[in-house]
Amino acid sequence: MKDFNIMRDLLEDNKRLAEANHEILLSKGIFTINLLGSPGAGKTTLLEMLIRELKDEIGIAVIEGDLYTSNDADRIEKENIQVVQLNTKGVCHLEANMVKEALAELDLKDIDLLVIENVGNLVCTASFDLGEDIKITVLSVTEGTDKPIKYPLIFQKSKIVVVNKMDLLAHTDFSLDKFYQDIRTLGEDIKVFEVSCIGNQGIEEFASYLKKLIKENKLAGEKN
Amino acid sequence: MIEVKVCSQTSWACPEEGQMMHEMSLMSELFSIIQEYVSEYHLSKVSKVVLRIGEMTCVEDSALKYAFRLFARGTEVEGAALLLKRIDAVCECQVCGEKYKVDYTDKYCPICGNYNYNLISGDELLLESLEGEEEENDERL
Repeated sequence: MKDFNIMRDLLEDNKRLAEANHEILLSKGIFTINLLGSPGAGKTTLLEMLIRELKDEIGIAVIEGDLYTSNDADRIEKENIQVVQLNTKGVCHLEANMVKEALAELDLKDIDLLVIENVGNLVCTASFDLGEDIKITVLSVTEGTDKPIKYPLIFQKSKIVVVNKMDLLAHTDFSLDKFYQDIRTLGEDIKVFEVSCIGNQGIEEFASYLKKLIKENKLAGEKN
Repeated sequence: MIEVKVCSQTSWACPEEGQMMHEMSLMSELFSIIQEYVSEYHLSKVSKVVLRIGEMTCVEDSALKYAFRLFARGTEVEGAALLLKRIDAVCECQVCGEKYKVDYTDKYCPICGNYNYNLISGDELLLESLEGEEEENDERL
C-alpha cells in the first residue's frame, strides 16, 4: 500500500486557461462580460438591447454558448456584429478552453467589449471562470424572489445583477424589498439594475454604466 | 456566423443522458490526475481518494459520489473509497484582522462588525491524497 499526498486543484487547468484568455483580452483593451442567468431570464434579449444602445460608439463581439442550437447567435448576427456560436453538445456550462477556441475565430481588432453569453444555468456556470472581467447575472421577476438565496454562489460572484421583466412585476409575487435584502447579504457592493427589455425601461441607464466600465478598462489598459 | 463545436476540456462524454452537472467536469479532471499517478507509480489498484471541498463551492456530495462511481467503473479506481472533507469558509477581516467563519448570507466580522469578503478558505476543490497498491513485479513470472 502506498500513500500519495497530492493537494492539486481540480479546476487548475480551467483557471490557467481562463487567465491566458484574460491576458489576451486585456492586452487588446477589451472589456469582457460573462453573461449568466436561468434559461428564459432574458439574457439574449438584454444583449440585443445593449448592442443597439452601444454599437455606434463601442466595438462589440459576442460568443454565444448553447447546448445544441444556433438560435441565439442567429439573433445576434442580425445586429451586424461578430458572433461565434459555441455548441457544448450537452455540457451544462462553458469552460475556458471553449472560449479559447472561440477567441481564435474572432477578429479582435477594434473590439472594446466582448460578451460571452453562457449556457442558461444558475449552478454549474458559477464554478468555471472563462477569462472575463466581470460576471453579470440576469434574473427575471417571474423566476421568484428566492433565487439569489437558493443559488448563492452565482449571485455572490456577480458584480452586476439585472432584474428583468419589471413590466410583469405586478402580475407576480416577486418582492423587490426581499430581493434587495437577500442580495445585500450575498454581497454589499453588487450593483443592481431593474429593467424591462420588452418595455425598454432601464436599458439606457444600464448601458451607460457599462460604457463607464469599458472606458475605465481602456484607460487602465493604456497605463499598463 | 462562425460555429465552433467544442467539448469539455477533458472531453468527458456524459454517460447517461440527463446527467449534466458540473460535478462531472470536476470528476473528469480528478480522474486525469489519478491516471497520472496510476501510470507513473504502476498502481494496480487505487483504494482511497480524499478530496477537500470548500463550503463556498456549491458542489454537492451526492453528485460527486455518483460521478465518481461512473468514472471509476472498469478502471483501477473501481471500488475505491471516496472521502469528502468539507472545509469551512473562513474570512480574515480586512479591518481588524479577525478570522471568522462565514456563510453565503453572513459575512460580517463578529468583532468589528464590518462587512468584508476576504476568503482565506472555503473555495477549494482539491485532490488531497490517494492510497494505492503497486503492481507486484514478479506477478507474471
